[in-house]
Parts: sequence; C-alpha cells; structure tokens
Amino acid sequence: MGFLIALGVLLLVSIIWMVYRIQTLVSVVKGSEKKVATGSNKVNAALFLLFLIGSGVLMFWYSIKEFDTYHLPIASEHGVVTDNLFWVTMAVTGIVFIITHILLFWFSYRYQYKEENTAAFYPDNNKLEILWTLVPAAVLTVLVVSGWKAWSDITAPAPENAHVIEVMGYQFAWEFRYPGKDKQLGNYDYRLINPTNSRGIDFTDKNALDDFPAQKVVIPVGEPVLFKIRSRDVLHSVFAPHMRLKMDAVPGMPTRFWFVPTKTTAQMRAELKDDEFVYEIACTEVCGGGHFSMRREIEVVEPEEYQKWFAEQKTFVEMDPALIADAPSEIKELAQIESAE
Amino acid sequence: MAVANVSTHGASAHDHHDDHEHSDNFITKYIFSTDHKMIGKQFLVTGIVWALIGGFLSILFRLQLGFPDMDMTFLKPILGGWIDESGALDTNFYLALVTMHGTIMVFFVLTAGLSGTFSNYLIPLQIGARDMASGFMNMLSYWLFFIAGILMFISLFIETGPAGGGWVIYPPLSALEQAIPGSGLGMTLWLVAMVFFIASQLMGGINYISTVINLRTKGMSFSRLPLTIWSFFLTAIIGLLSFPVLFSAALLLVFDRSFGTSFYLSDIYIGGEALPNTGGSAVLFQHLFWFLGHPEVYIVLLPALGITSEVIATNSRKPIFGYKAMILSMLGITVLSFVVWAHHMFVSGMNPFLGSIFMFLTLIIAVPSAVKVFNYLTTLWRGNLIFTPAMLFSIGLVSFFISGGLTGIFLGNSAVDIQLHDTYFVVAHFHLVMGSASFFGLMAGIYHWFPKMFGRMMDAKLGYIHFWLTFVGVYMVFFPMHYIGIAGFPRRYYSWTNFNFADMYTDLNMFVSVAAIITFGAQFIFLFNFFYSMYKGRKASLNPWRSNTLEWTTPLEPGHGNWPGEIPTVYRWPYDYSKPGAKEDFIPQTVPLSSTPESNLPHEAEQVKLEREIMAEEGSDILVANESKES
Amino acid sequence: MEEKLAYIEDAEQPIAMHPKKFALWLFIVSVVMIFAAMTSAFIVRQGEGNWLEYDLPNILWYTSGIILLSSASMHWAYLSAKNDQLGNLKIALGITVVLGLLFLVGQWFSWEALVERDVYFVGNPGGSFMYVFTGLHAVHLISGVIFLIIVLISSFRYKIHSRKMNTMEMCATYWHFLGGLWIYLFVFLLLNH
Ligand code: HEM
Ligand SMILES: [Cu+2]
Ligand SMILES: [Cu+2]
Repeated sequence: MGFLIALGVLLLVSIIWMVYRIQTLVSVVKGSEKKVATGSNKVNAALFLLFLIGSGVLMFWYSIKEFDTYHLPIASEHGVVTDNLFWVTMAVTGIVFIITHILLFWFSYRYQYKEENTAAFYPDNNKLEILWTLVPAAVLTVLVVSGWKAWSDITAPAPENAHVIEVMGYQFAWEFRYPGKDKQLGNYDYRLINPTNSRGIDFTDKNALDDFPAQKVVIPVGEPVLFKIRSRDVLHSVFAPHMRLKMDAVPGMPTRFWFVPTKTTAQMRAELKDDEFVYEIACTEVCGGGHFSMRREIEVVEPEEYQKWFAEQKTFVEMDPALIADAPSEIKELAQIESAE
Repeated sequence: MAVANVSTHGASAHDHHDDHEHSDNFITKYIFSTDHKMIGKQFLVTGIVWALIGGFLSILFRLQLGFPDMDMTFLKPILGGWIDESGALDTNFYLALVTMHGTIMVFFVLTAGLSGTFSNYLIPLQIGARDMASGFMNMLSYWLFFIAGILMFISLFIETGPAGGGWVIYPPLSALEQAIPGSGLGMTLWLVAMVFFIASQLMGGINYISTVINLRTKGMSFSRLPLTIWSFFLTAIIGLLSFPVLFSAALLLVFDRSFGTSFYLSDIYIGGEALPNTGGSAVLFQHLFWFLGHPEVYIVLLPALGITSEVIATNSRKPIFGYKAMILSMLGITVLSFVVWAHHMFVSGMNPFLGSIFMFLTLIIAVPSAVKVFNYLTTLWRGNLIFTPAMLFSIGLVSFFISGGLTGIFLGNSAVDIQLHDTYFVVAHFHLVMGSASFFGLMAGIYHWFPKMFGRMMDAKLGYIHFWLTFVGVYMVFFPMHYIGIAGFPRRYYSWTNFNFADMYTDLNMFVSVAAIITFGAQFIFLFNFFYSMYKGRKASLNPWRSNTLEWTTPLEPGHGNWPGEIPTVYRWPYDYSKPGAKEDFIPQTVPLSSTPESNLPHEAEQVKLEREIMAEEGSDILVANESKES
Repeated sequence: MEEKLAYIEDAEQPIAMHPKKFALWLFIVSVVMIFAAMTSAFIVRQGEGNWLEYDLPNILWYTSGIILLSSASMHWAYLSAKNDQLGNLKIALGITVVLGLLFLVGQWFSWEALVERDVYFVGNPGGSFMYVFTGLHAVHLISGVIFLIIVLISSFRYKIHSRKMNTMEMCATYWHFLGGLWIYLFVFLLLNH
C-alpha cells in the first residue's frame, strides 16, 4: 500500500512537471508572456459560464430527485412551524443565491478582457448602496420577526397538563424516568448516584416512590410532552430529528423542551410504507468516544394505549426494594401503600 | 545590492541613501529577522505547512466517514495504536483528529497563516513605512506562534492522544481526563499552546494597529488607505479585543483542570465517582469562548475580503465600487461581531429570551455582508476582467461567501437552528463562508503578491488548473453536506449506521470523501508551483499587475527598509483604474494630481492648487513623516 | 476652505504619539479585556444562583489606600523627572517600588483573611473568583514593579531626565493604570459581593 501511494505521488508530480514544461515552452514560442491577457483568459471566462450552468443543473436535479431522502417527515406541532420557516428562508435565500451567482459568473464571462475595451470608471453610487442596504434589512426583518414568534412559542412554559419525562444523558446513553401516578418527579442529587441508583434519585422524597424507568420514551399523540433534561457527566444534547427537537443536557443545570407529537409511530409507518420505522433520539453535543452511539427510541401511541402502558410500568422501588432500605419508616409505609394499590 | 539602512532605534533622520552592504548573516536574515517582509514569509511558509497537516488530518477522518468499513491497517505506520487489530480507527482518536483539524485550520492556518502573513507583509509596504512599529515585537510574535505550533504538534504524538473535545473545547468534556483520553496531557498542551498563540496574536495585533495609525507616509490619509490595510487594521482591533477573553476563559479552565476549582464544573458523576465540584456553570465557558469564537470568524474572513477587494479592483481595471461603503460595512461587521456570539448557543440551555436578542443582532450582521457582495458584483460589472490566478480565486471567494453567508441566515434564526444546530448543515456553512472563502483569500493573496515577495512570477497555467480543481472540488465536498445536514446527520459522528434516520447517504459520503482527496491532491500543484517558482520562476517585472498601490514602487526585491531612497508620498486614493482621459488604465498613488490634469475630476482639480503650494513650500527635502518621528 | 483643511490634515502626521507608547496603550486595552471578561463571567455566574456570600477582608481597604498613595508618589517621580530634580526622582521611584511591594504583601494577607473566613480558592466559584481577581491583578502588578525597578536603575544611570521622558511616561501610565484597575476591581467587588 505504501508503495502504491509513493507511486501515485511520483506519478502526480511527474504529470505536473510535464504540464508545466510543455506549457512554458508553448508560451515562449507564442510570445504570450508579453500580453496583458493570454488566450487562457477566454477559457477561464467560458469555464465560469460552464460552471454556472453545469452546477446549476446538477443542483436542481439533485435537490428535486432526492427530496424525499433528505426531507425528514415531521411529527410535532412546532416542527411544522419551523419547517415552514426553513422553507421560506430557503425560497428567499435561494432566489438571492441564484441571482447573485448568475450575475457573478455572467459578468465574469461578459466583461472578460478585450483589448479594445476600457472598463467603466464607476466608483460609487450612494443611492444604490442605500437601496441594497435597506432591501436586505427589510427582508431580514420579516424573517426575524416570524422566527422570533416561533421561537417564543416553542420556548414558552409548557402547558400545565404536559406529560413530564426526565431525560438524563450520560456517557454513552440516555435514561428516562416517568413521574408515576402523582405526576411529580422525585428529587435527585448527583451524590446519591451508585450502581443501583444510576440517576441519583432521592428515595427519601415521597414523590420518588412511584417514579418509574423506561427503556424508551412512550408518549401519547396530540398531547403536550415536557422533557426535563439533565446530564450526569459531560454535555450531551437531546436530538429527536422527527420532532424537530434539540436541547443540550448540562450537568448542574437542568434544561427543558416541550412539544406535541402529531403522528403515532403506526401512522408514520403507514405513511412511509416502512414497517421498521421508529422515532429516534440521538446526541448532538460531542461527549466522548461513544458520542455517535447514544441511540434511544421514541414510541408515539394513541392516548388510550399510553394510559394502559403507563399503568403497567413497574416503579423503581418495586423493582428493587433495597433502594428504600435506608429510608425513614414513613417512606417505607408509603411505598407499601402505593404498591398495594 | 544597495539597501537603505534603516534602524528603528537610529538617532534621527540621518542619511538614508548611503550604499552600504547589508551585513545580515543567515540567522538574522532568515531566522531571527526583524524585517516585516521576512516575518511575513515565515508566517506564510509555516501556515502552508500547517495547512498540509490540517488537510491531511481531514483526509484521515474523511476516509472513516466515506468508507466506514475500510481496513485501515495500512495507516498503522503513522497512526500506530489508534488503529485496532481489525483495522478500525479508534473512536476517541477520530474526535481528536476532528479537534486538531479544526484548531489547526482556524487558528494556525487562517489566523496566523493568512492575517499574520499579509498584515506583516503588506502593511508597511502599502502605507509607506520602513517597517513595523516594533520589529522586535514582530519577530517575537512569530516565534511565539512557532512555539505554539511545536507544542500543538507534539500533542499529536503523545500516548493519550491530542485534545479531543472539539475545537471549542467545551468543559466538562475538556476538563475531565476520565471523560475522554484527549482531555489529559493532550488538552494541557492544547491550552499551553493556545496561550502562546494568544500572546503572539496580541503582539502582532498591537504592532499592526500602531503601525497603521502612526507610520503612514505623507499623504496616506485613512481615506486613501487600500482596503487591504483597512481590513488588516480592523482585524487587528477585533483580535486585540477578543483574544484576551479567550485567555480568561482558558485560564479558568486551567484552574478547573489542575487546581480543582469549579468555575465550569458542577454535579458530575463520572468514572464511578461523584466529583466534589459544585456551583460551576458549563454555559459560562460557552459565553466566554464564543465571545472570542465569533469575532474569530471575522478575524479569519476580513483579511481575505480585503485582499479580494484589492485583487478584484486591480484585475477588473476598475475602482472598487463603493470604497466608503466597503469601509463602513467592515466597520459594521467589526462592531457587530462582538454582539452576536450567543447565536452559537441557542439550544445550550441559556435563557431563551437571550436567544431572541441574539437572533435579532445576528441577522443585522447579514446586512453589511450583503452590501459587500453587491459591491463586488458591481465592481465586476462593465470591467475589463483579466483572469489572473489571483482574480480567479477572488471570484471563487465571492461565490463561497455568498453560498456560505446565505446559510447563515438559516442558522441565525433560532427557531430554524433548533433542527440544524450541530448537524452537517453547520459544517457546510462554516466551511464555505469561513474555511473556503478565507482559504481562497489566502490563495489570491499568494498568487497576487508572490512577485513582490520573491521577485519571480508563479506559473499562471498551473494556477488556473489549481483554481479549477480546487473550486469545483470545494463545492463537491461541501455542497452535498447541506443535504446531509438537512437530513439531520449530527456532526462529530464517527459513523451514522447506528441510526435509522441517518443510515443512508453512504454513497454521497463516499463521493464527498473522494472529492476531498482529489481537492487535497490538487493542492500539490500549488505547492510545486510555489516552491519551484521561488527559485526558477520567470523574473517578475516591477509592477506585473499594473497596480496602483505603493508596494509596487519598491525595487524588485526590496531590502530592509523597503525603499532605497525616500519613501514616496501619496497623492491619491488607490483605485484610479481606467480613469477617463488618463493615458494608461491605472494611475499609481504616487502620481501627483497636478501631473494628471487630463483625468482629474472636478474636486480633484481644486486640490491640485494646494498640492502645488505644499510642494513648493517644502521644496525637495520633503521629510518622510515617520523618519522624522524617530526618537 | 473645507478642502484646504482636509488636505493639510492629510499631509500631516496623523498621531503624534510615540509608537511604543501607543503600543503600551493597546496592551492596556488587552489587559482591560481580560478583566472585563473576568468580571462579566463573575456577574453571569452570580446570576445563576448557588453563590457563596462572605465579607470582603478589611485589609483590602488598606491596600487600596496604598495603591492610591503609590500613584501619588509615581506622579511625584514623573514631575521630578520632568523638572530634572534627579534626586527627588530616585526617592519617589523608590517609594513607589516600596509601596507596590507593600500592596502585594497586603494582598497576600487578604488571602489569609479569606482562608480564615473559610473561603478557599477551591470551592464555590464565589470564592474562587476573588482569588482569581486579586491574583491576576497581582501578576500584572508584579510586572509593573519590575518595570519600576528598571526605570529606577536607569534613573541611577542618569538616563531619565526632562529630555528623555518616554520610558518614564510609559512607566507612569502603566502604573496608574494598574492602580485604576485595582480600584475598579475593588469597587466592583464591593458592589457585587
Ligand atoms: C481539505 C479540506 C477540508 C475538509 C475535507 C474538511 C472536512 C471537515 C469535516 C468533515 C469536518 C467535520 C467532522 C465531524 O464533525 O465529524 C470538519 C470540521 C471542521 N473543519 Fe474542516 N475540512 C476542510 C478544511 C477546513 C478549513 C480550510 C477550515 C478552516 C476554517 C476547516 C475548519 C473546520 C472546523 C473549525 C471544524 C470543526 C471542528 C470541530 O468540530 O471541533 N476545515 N472538517
Ligand atoms: Cu454526545
Ligand atoms: Cu458566530
């Protein structure tokens, strides 16, 4: 392999060398050294035009053909809004992109050097400057204001009735916790973390007694869901691409993100004609060697199904009664009452 | 060779015309040189070496991304233990490669290699000064950069690998050795290297600013400065204000890492134990970092834009359109670049209200950038364009600046950024607008000023080939990343096969990797051209591009002191190209208005009288301003 | 008329400042930025709660007084040099050096006072910041003292007098700046602790 590389490099160098020698000789013969612009000027000008047309066609062809591949289906209410903004921005910037590039390359072609031409002496025009300061400013204002509205809605406090789920990142996975019947997550403290209590839940807090873990996020369609996000070690970031959801998990500083899922997993499967489809959670803040593997699933179900699933879950304490071994006796009693219910 | 003897410490305006030989030996001439031209070249060559290293690292991780199943055993000779028995790249080392690539490219190549090279080389030459305000500090600036480089280079080879937390080194990852091996010695070296680098930047910046303000030649008012100088000047100001903040951020991180303080650390359980640190704030670091980090983007970009302005005007044979507007937009960018930093932190967990404010501020900064693009386009309009390699690279820069700048409008919108943040869309965005645009500015600068630097011409045809391969190549590498990003592929991922939503585009990623290798390969054409032309290139003429600025009035290979005789006086702005009525299509800055009555504009005709008066008053012994100021 | 003014201005040397002095000012700007960053970090972090509250050591009042005094003696040194009173110059510079060292000692005692209050460098950032501010300022002050000593030595060699004021002026500027910087930090701490 090393030999091959060396050979390749050698070949490359000799090709460069040959091209170089030949064209110096040619230019000496032609005497083109003396001219302001050689024949290459025409070639370069034409290449710009060719590049414009070629890459333009390629871009449109690929963007249209591949639309379904790169366009992720949306499964949340605010996702529709942000995606709309995305495509509006795409339209606006797309137009600017195309016009400016046509001008750039067309001018390069049209105004290539000709001996008989002289350039126009056109140093400034304040009206033009003002025009193209104000127009972008106005367009951007429209974009910003609509973006700002969406942003305020998305970051507004979650509705009272939101289903709370705790999402905790650690190297290298996510853990989920549901608040149980009382809808209250129990307190936690990172000093309580140990192999049997990986989340550091404080089981002397009675709210913690009915909390239960889950291997994946199960949520009801059409109802608000609030992720309470935290991290146990370094920064992570919860990313649920189909929900258009992303929020960093920061040790020592809980964060949150709420959303309303709009399509159940089953609906999405039907829509995409893909029986394997699942909603996923990934990590988008570099967190170490396993960063690329922090995968978990979200399952969106009908509300009834959700209620049923919720009722069936086993609490931490039920799974491991030792967790409250050191807790005061009234907590133990409470726990007993709860599991009896 | 007759060289002016100029000593910055010399007693006064003693005779500068004496023809005495330079007694520089090899060491003072090439190594510990205080001549700004040599220091500029040192920055350039060092920058090129770093660009090769940084590019090579990107090829390594592009191999991983394009061909995830490839057997990389053949890389064992270089990567050693980072390739396991099955021929797979270590995941931690992948991150280290990405981190080093980013750090090297941003700081060593595009900050030191671009701004360091051309600020040093061009400021004295274009403003008409013998040298920088302090040649010694200038030399120190280079050598501090060099030491930073050595340290960073060493960190590539240590047992635990170089820093691996991304070039933004967010704690806690960068603070805790338990979190990633690179956060051990590698991170320490990174931090120490960056402290040297910051010191180097500050010394350079202080020098550039005082030189531009104090040492301009007679007649070189701020309204006659070439846009290159304006851009270097503003870049230096940005650096002076932002690098100290990075220093503060790094200092607190050092305390957290080595002394057990808790500025950034709080409530952490890692490696089976709960750390004692509480009360720190990881987001605080991000604020401090991006207070440098965002201005840094403009530190990288502004010099490239300045170079482009100069090259486009010269080769369009037209004045740059909207000289004042160009300056104003650069000033606007300078100021605004300090108030947009938190757009990198929309989903960091900071107060969403702050997010709204920074969204507004961020989209304001798009306006001056747009103005610049329109001005470039209008400069090309009705020009008489000569496509030198430098001109090609400048046009390429404008294209990248548009493509990458427009995607910034998506990312600056916090609502849209929720989905795009930390995906390949961001990678595409900053590689176009900051990476490739600045890289093209660097290339344009090299091709344009090579004749001045080395007295010889680079080969134009090879330059064309280099340009087209690189231009098309860059688009082939970075344009597809937009699609990948819109599809939601997160960045800094070793592979995407774990996820259903991202388990596609293997072919596109392969395409990107192949394109990257070709583009990287194309740079060897440049390397050959550069080093070969240095010794064997065609001898350059004094003003090969028929340009107006002062550097082309120096001898072919200017000695220390730049002008053998007096420093020329400046009588006009640098963009009198194709002036109606003029004999030639360019009028250098040194040509008095009084000698060009045929082409003077009405308001210039009035200035002619004054010019005559002043010349008469002063007679022939016009003292060059900065010489008389020597103490 | 307007044209004329503009033109003559153009032809003049724009800033009549010695480049080295100018560079010193730029250096001061970068030091200001370091401390601006630190104090902003302090405020941002304080705003997030979980903040250690404690009383500032009283000795800081004394050290603040000392540094103000040293600025006065520095000014005396400056005036003496300007008036070629070389004897006074040496005395004034000497006093300034001593006051500078005294200040440093005082800062050291302020750390001891902090430790007595159970405020440590390692611990809640509320305390750590205190050490960083004073420590970082002290490092700069040490550089100032070194500069002073250099000037003192050159004053013994008669290298500082009314026609050679550059170094003296730079030293004075830097020293006053360091004093001002401390007063800023002290007031900042008084207002925000
Ligand atoms: C040979 C050309 C280049 C290629 C193929 C390339 C490719 C890449 C890729 C694929 C990544 C993302 C890796 C990941 O997130 O996993 C990356 C990161 C990065 N690149 Fe480049 N790049 C090139 C040149 C440059 C240049 C000229 C710059 C200068 C600004 C640059 C700056 C960066 C930065 C700042 C990062 C982020 C590093 C981090 O995440 O910490 N790159 N590059
Ligand atoms: Cu991660
Ligand atoms: Cu930014």
